[in-house]
Amino acid sequence: MSAETAIAPNKKTSRNPISLLTENTLAGLRRRRALIGYLFLAPTIVGIIVFTAGPILVSFGLSFFKWDVFSPPSFLGTAHYSRLIADPRVLLGFRNTFLLVVLAITMQIAVGLGLALAIQQRMPTWMRYYFRTAFFLPFLMSGAATGIVIGYMLHKEFGPVNYYLTLIGLPQVPWLNSPNLVLITVAIAFVWQNMGFTLILFIGGLNNISKEVLEAADVDGARGWNRFWHVILPMVSPTLLFAAVTGVIGGLQIFDHPYVMTRGGPGDASRTAVMVMYESAFKNMEIGYGSAIAVFLFVIILLVTAGQFSLSKRWVFYQ
Amino acid sequence: MQTSTTYVRGSAPHKRSWTAYVRYRALNIIGLTLLALASVIVLAPFVWTFATSLRLPTESFTLPPQWLPTNPDWTNYNRVFEEIDFLRMILNSAIVAGAVVLGQLITASLAGYAFARLEFPGREVLFWLIMATMMIPLQATIIPVFVLISRMGLNDTLASLILPSLPTAFGTFLMRQYFMGVPKDFEEAALIDGSGQLGIFGRIYLPLVAPGLAVLAVLTFNGHWNEFFRPLIFLLSRDNFTIPLGLNVLKGYMMTGSVSIVLAGVAMSLVPVVAVYFIGQRYLIEGIMMGGVKG
Amino acid sequence: MTQPTRSAFSRRDFLRISGAGAFTLAVAACGAPAQPSAPAAGGEAAAPAAETVLLRIQVNPDEESPVFELFKQNHPNVEAEFISVTGIDHEEVAAKMLAMLAAGEQMDLGFAATEATQLYAGKGLALALDDYVKANESDMKEYFADVHPSLNEAMMWEGSLYQLSRDFNAANMYYNTAAFEQAGFGHPDSGWTKEEFYEIAKAIASQSGSQKVYGYAWINRLWGSWMPWIFVNGGNLLTEERAPGGEWLWETFYADDPAAEGRGGGWRWLAPQANNSANVEALDFMVQLFNEGITPAVELGGGETLQGFFTSGTLAMTPAGGFWSGGLANAGMANGAFDVQLFPNWKNQRHQFGTGALFIFAASKNLDTAWEYYKFGATREAMEANGIFNPVTITTPSRRSMCNAERFANTGPEHWEVFYATLDDHPDTAPIPAPPISNPMTTLFTAYTARAMSLEMTPQQAMDGLQKELEDLYSREGAGMYKLE
Repeated sequence: MSAETAIAPNKKTSRNPISLLTENTLAGLRRRRALIGYLFLAPTIVGIIVFTAGPILVSFGLSFFKWDVFSPPSFLGTAHYSRLIADPRVLLGFRNTFLLVVLAITMQIAVGLGLALAIQQRMPTWMRYYFRTAFFLPFLMSGAATGIVIGYMLHKEFGPVNYYLTLIGLPQVPWLNSPNLVLITVAIAFVWQNMGFTLILFIGGLNNISKEVLEAADVDGARGWNRFWHVILPMVSPTLLFAAVTGVIGGLQIFDHPYVMTRGGPGDASRTAVMVMYESAFKNMEIGYGSAIAVFLFVIILLVTAGQFSLSKRWVFYQ
Repeated sequence: MQTSTTYVRGSAPHKRSWTAYVRYRALNIIGLTLLALASVIVLAPFVWTFATSLRLPTESFTLPPQWLPTNPDWTNYNRVFEEIDFLRMILNSAIVAGAVVLGQLITASLAGYAFARLEFPGREVLFWLIMATMMIPLQATIIPVFVLISRMGLNDTLASLILPSLPTAFGTFLMRQYFMGVPKDFEEAALIDGSGQLGIFGRIYLPLVAPGLAVLAVLTFNGHWNEFFRPLIFLLSRDNFTIPLGLNVLKGYMMTGSVSIVLAGVAMSLVPVVAVYFIGQRYLIEGIMMGGVKG
Repeated sequence: MTQPTRSAFSRRDFLRISGAGAFTLAVAACGAPAQPSAPAAGGEAAAPAAETVLLRIQVNPDEESPVFELFKQNHPNVEAEFISVTGIDHEEVAAKMLAMLAAGEQMDLGFAATEATQLYAGKGLALALDDYVKANESDMKEYFADVHPSLNEAMMWEGSLYQLSRDFNAANMYYNTAAFEQAGFGHPDSGWTKEEFYEIAKAIASQSGSQKVYGYAWINRLWGSWMPWIFVNGGNLLTEERAPGGEWLWETFYADDPAAEGRGGGWRWLAPQANNSANVEALDFMVQLFNEGITPAVELGGGETLQGFFTSGTLAMTPAGGFWSGGLANAGMANGAFDVQLFPNWKNQRHQFGTGALFIFAASKNLDTAWEYYKFGATREAMEANGIFNPVTITTPSRRSMCNAERFANTGPEHWEVFYATLDDHPDTAPIPAPPISNPMTTLFTAYTARAMSLEMTPQQAMDGLQKELEDLYSREGAGMYKLE
């Protein structure tokens, strides 16, 4: 610990803060580790307070005001909150968001884990390299470009997908034009783009499983479903938790894909919570109301995430 | 990628029996066929994007869809360079994304380590507060953030995109998970060796979470490369534009631009980020090879 | 009611409401510059000639800088900073604008089209040009003589003029000449009817060929979607009324123009009438075209690809304005491969249009310089140089003299006269309904349009639902949009 002792020149005064840290006792060690903890956190904490937490508190404050930027804000109290819980478009936005998250995140994790396992099977190195790259590539496209390209692919009359479907005698599917189908279509676009990330996470997770564990499982004769359920799944559970938590946090804020592909339509069938928030703030110029919707969304995401973490204690296994 | 042969971890064909071997091979071939089919479907939009960017716009949307760039025509690419300062925008994007990656690797690995491996009062509360900041959509705070940026005199600078992005709640969470995945034995061994905390972090833990750092780097670079909304609000002059804003310029006044030209821009703007992925992937694999648990 | 007093949003206001200690500290630590207060309109002291004046202009620099370069030749002391807004939708532009206003950024000139004209006027953001126009009567005469009165009427709000129309687009009918020829049709008469349109569209869509060609397509939005059908069927989404006032403009500049007769002080859209029978009938017709396979499913996104479908020859007709001549040329469609005609006659042939121009921020500290530049921007010389008209015409010039054969010689369409004839031959042609609350109104309009077009609702149900929601919107936000007695 030469670094720590070197910065303590006035060691004579025995009870000064520095000597508390340099004490060669367990308590001193604990204090040193705590100080390092705070130092390590400092850049993140300071940055987040200034650039994220502060503005969030401002937005929270704005939710109690009527404000269109053009004229000074006027205090409304909780009126925006009582309005939003009765606003059918807001409620529909939240309903659509939940459906989208359940659809998209389940698909994303299932596809990501499935592909990661499939890529683990025996194959030449170049092939593994190709698959990994192919499935990751969509993640590199921007949301806006994805919207244009996938929107065209799935166009009811002019899109290639329906063209091939009609070739094999199926009817044209109104991917983006049916209120019953549109959320599934948006989820497909979302999964197309994001599965590569989940895939990479799971490849890392699967590679962290120690050979001993796998060999022990082989000796025990665990194969197929058993091997997956009792050996692999517990071992990748931290990755699974991470994918689920970040997926849900990101998914509940889904905006780009439905915005570019459908503008929330048909009707309000693919309007998400953040879209309603965005339209309130920037289209209708009701910044306070938009903030109230954001605060409401924040509380919901917080509850869902807390729920995921508390449930995770039952199923996540750290080596 | 010679090293990645050791990466193969599937259930190897133990010489149990001849029938088991045949079954294994059959499943293997079916599995590979399905994977190949899936990869074709997943790549189709890219093929179309590229093929369309090489065709005259008037031939772009015909059916049956044309997947091959017959008579490649590069005028769409020339038009991209004529209409926007493409290279400058690429450079701006690279500066922003590169600086943010470097910064986040430092802040996130420090903070993730602290949350995963150090004990101090308030750890749980701080972790939750940081997590909570991920849960407010960007769109909700853009106006207060812009006011702040403007007061700091940073608007219309690339720094306005970099500085607020250096702390990262997501990266902190990601790195925390990776640090938590490292078995405790390593730390105990290091303590016995007499390494200090900084030594434990730098020499023992950091190499072990290299895959996490690679994931964070690829992810962050990609995210900031494609970032649209913050640059839209923060940047004022063309000279500072990043590439997603440039692609939007290509769409033209009242959407009078040509989609084929936009797609040519999309195709070109993919090149650097794909390159970063290929570099990142190498570190990713090497990181896994070096990985904590030696077989 | 009086003119809403413009109060610049100050830093103090912002901090007062923030209630966020951390944020306040962060801001304070950064040493906030003093907030300029907004001077009353016209109260600017003339800047000494030697002093450099910086104009901050929120506009596309590629388009505007040629104009500014010309201006600078006679005004060497003026510099420009272009604030580039790349937003494609109104939301993106508005988000940037609102953020800049909240931060107290000073701007001198900005851009607004019909969708936002009354919003900025009604909120006191844009400066009424009346005094400047009156004071420059001799300079302005040439401009007004060249611009159709309906375009500048659309730039008015409650008796005052807020912008000088620079470009406009009325929804005419573009068609693919090859598709018409193949089905045995030539250039339709200017007075063609809805029935003739239907016959052509149906004939084209029912042809058998290697690739199906659709007769007609449109994008779901406010301008040019199925709004033209509402107009030619004698309907409108909102009630139309003319505000009193504006005589100063009509009597001074349009005294000899019969088309200026009966115009007032700008449009007032005072109440929704979404479910009136003309609207429902127009929507019925749209659903019929879809059900008969003449129209493809309506585009729900930004409509980026519709132009691609048209240039690829898979679409025969679509509503568009002069901006498409440049757009189609940009997309590689040959001169002669497309042409344009007036929108067909149903009960009448009244078109709908949108128009755009710069406006002056009421809070600008350089009002006189801003006006000098503004006035110059409306001259023929400046407009000819503007990037939206040169080298390619990507929107229709509001000046009649600039809608000429030379302009469209390279790109087509052959019948370019249609663009201005829309206004001259049908002077009752009017802007899309765009009251100060047009943004939330548009969200509702497109949502219910899509409900009908996806057959989720009948046209009657959709328009009833739209009417109900528009009534709610008007009762919540509609009060005070206009200066009613």
